[in-house]
Amino acid sequence: MAVVAVSHLAKTYPGQEVSLRGTKLEWRGPALWARNLVRAVHLTANAAPPVPALRDVSLTIAPGEVFGLVGRNGSGKTTLIKILAGLIRPSAGSGTVAGMGLDAPQAIRAAVSYVSTSGWMGLEWPLTAEENIRFFAALCGLPDRLARARTEAALRAVDLWADRGKYPSQLSNGMRQRVILARALLLQTPLVLLDEPTVGLDPLTTETILTLIRGTLRERGQAILVTDHQAAALAAVADRIGILEEGRLTRVGTPQALLAPLAAITVISIQTEAMDRPLGPPPPGVVAADAVDRPGALGVRTWRIYARRTPDALQAVLDWVEQPAGRIVLLAEGRPTLSDLLLLPDPGALSPAGRAQRGAGGGMA
Amino acid sequence: MSTGRLLRQELVALWAFGVREYHIWESYRVNQVLWLTNLLVTSFLFFLLGQTLAGDVGGLLGPAYGTNYMSFIVVGVTVNVFINTNLADPYIRIQRSYFNGTMDLFLLSPMSIYTPLLGLMSKSLLDDYPRLLFTFGFGIWLFGAAFQFGAWPLALLFTVLLLAAGFGIGLISASLFYLLDIKKGTEPVQFIVQGIMATLLAGTYYPVTVLPRPLQWLACAIPHTYANDALRRLLDPGAQAAVPVLPIQQALPGLAPVLVDGLALGLLAVVLLPLGFWLYGQGIERARRLGTLTRWQ
Repeated sequence: MAVVAVSHLAKTYPGQEVSLRGTKLEWRGPALWARNLVRAVHLTANAAPPVPALRDVSLTIAPGEVFGLVGRNGSGKTTLIKILAGLIRPSAGSGTVAGMGLDAPQAIRAAVSYVSTSGWMGLEWPLTAEENIRFFAALCGLPDRLARARTEAALRAVDLWADRGKYPSQLSNGMRQRVILARALLLQTPLVLLDEPTVGLDPLTTETILTLIRGTLRERGQAILVTDHQAAALAAVADRIGILEEGRLTRVGTPQALLAPLAAITVISIQTEAMDRPLGPPPPGVVAADAVDRPGALGVRTWRIYARRTPDALQAVLDWVEQPAGRIVLLAEGRPTLSDLLLLPDPGALSPAGRAQRGAGGGMA
Repeated sequence: MSTGRLLRQELVALWAFGVREYHIWESYRVNQVLWLTNLLVTSFLFFLLGQTLAGDVGGLLGPAYGTNYMSFIVVGVTVNVFINTNLADPYIRIQRSYFNGTMDLFLLSPMSIYTPLLGLMSKSLLDDYPRLLFTFGFGIWLFGAAFQFGAWPLALLFTVLLLAAGFGIGLISASLFYLLDIKKGTEPVQFIVQGIMATLLAGTYYPVTVLPRPLQWLACAIPHTYANDALRRLLDPGAQAAVPVLPIQQALPGLAPVLVDGLALGLLAVVLLPLGFWLYGQGIERARRLGTLTRWQ
């Protein structure tokens, strides 16, 4: 039986009013109480438009499977994870987690380990790393002796046993994230939810955490749902990957299957100066392009250009970009990775017909 | 899972909260010294006030509460601290936990939604309640308060009823964190009940009889008033148990004033406590529906 089986899930959040902070109209004190009371009993309608976060998502995850969920910021990854963790009630749809309905959040919580690194979720700063894990073990009802043994095993698994007496303030970001991960190792729940476990980490710590997912968690036979906006990182650990775009699960498949339609595509990365000048129509063979500011170097942008792999593709792209965009400071060519799935159009559009339609588009300013 | 095992799991979690609070309490030892100093200064202030009133105290307090202002005030302050802890702490604990992200963890742990709330209140057991012993100690040994403890079981019963009713209001207050999204600033229930009604009407620093009659009736709406009245009658050696003070006691001449206090406190506890738990559950469910249960989205 699938550990996760949900169908047609949707979540729409109420609209958020524009903040009045700093204005004379800011709601405060009794005015705020009255305003919120009126809202809570639905005396007035919310003027702000509702925000759809998830639309018609259906998904199954088998026991022992590692499922990677990829999407840009705000694509609905965390909303989906929180629904599966019982923290958010879906607006529509149904399903089960470890055989329990989504309308039984307390039962679901016993079957799910949830790791999120946002805001150092749940780390108690006055407690040491070991005390943090022991505290969580007790919250889960583990008897003292068992909690002690599992805490040691979990801290050893994330290579933090030697630092067990340190407070979170004495640990680096990566070490704190490993403490949070150690918490998930305490219980052998049927489902482990990992919400961007490697965000903000250096490559070495990222590798440590991915190894842990690949090794320890998989060996224990737990189903794992792991999200990341760095799709490439997930390719190494996930059995299947789903792409979430604006709340819709648009593509699901093995990393190899998802990359197959891109086999004939080459990715050319170019850093140039003076990128604010518009480029002309792209040469034939360019299917999409995306430009981002290089972090820390305002005005120096990186173009990521997707072209059909032909002998003259690189030269054609150089000719297209160099004239209006100024001096090229860096150039690289490579194969597409899963991260490119977020930037590229639907693989269907990479067919000859699709390419013809998208030739002049794809974010080219 | 069997009921017994579930209960054991909740108790283990509650104990863990207690240990956690102890670790935190332990790391703020200097605070305890500062608090004791503050308590000593406050007690001394009331002692001086009592000295100033000196001969007029008997007339001011009326026949029901004796003639020792220090005894009067020690009971008033004790009741106020007890109920303030139970009334204000649930909201504050939820708020802190929400903003530092630990509430996310609690709500993800396989325990009842009420366990974290009760567990977070263990600070009161460790910190706030024991402090009242110092209030009594300073009052008796340094500033001349006099008490009789013959009726201590009854006094304890009133204290328990007071704590229950106060916690009921505290739960209602905490539920507004989710029900009305009062996440920052002043929470209305606390402000109205504790900040205004209890401060002005409960008879903490002066007897309720000095208030205008309509306000005396309003004072009967909060548990503080009954606890102050009953505990003074039970603990102050100069108090007279049969003299009615509160308007509701005068309206029920057939019942002993302490019995009226007990019935009223019991009724408030029986109504407010389940109402508080229900509203808190509703608040959590509303937040789950709106997606505002946890801080980090």
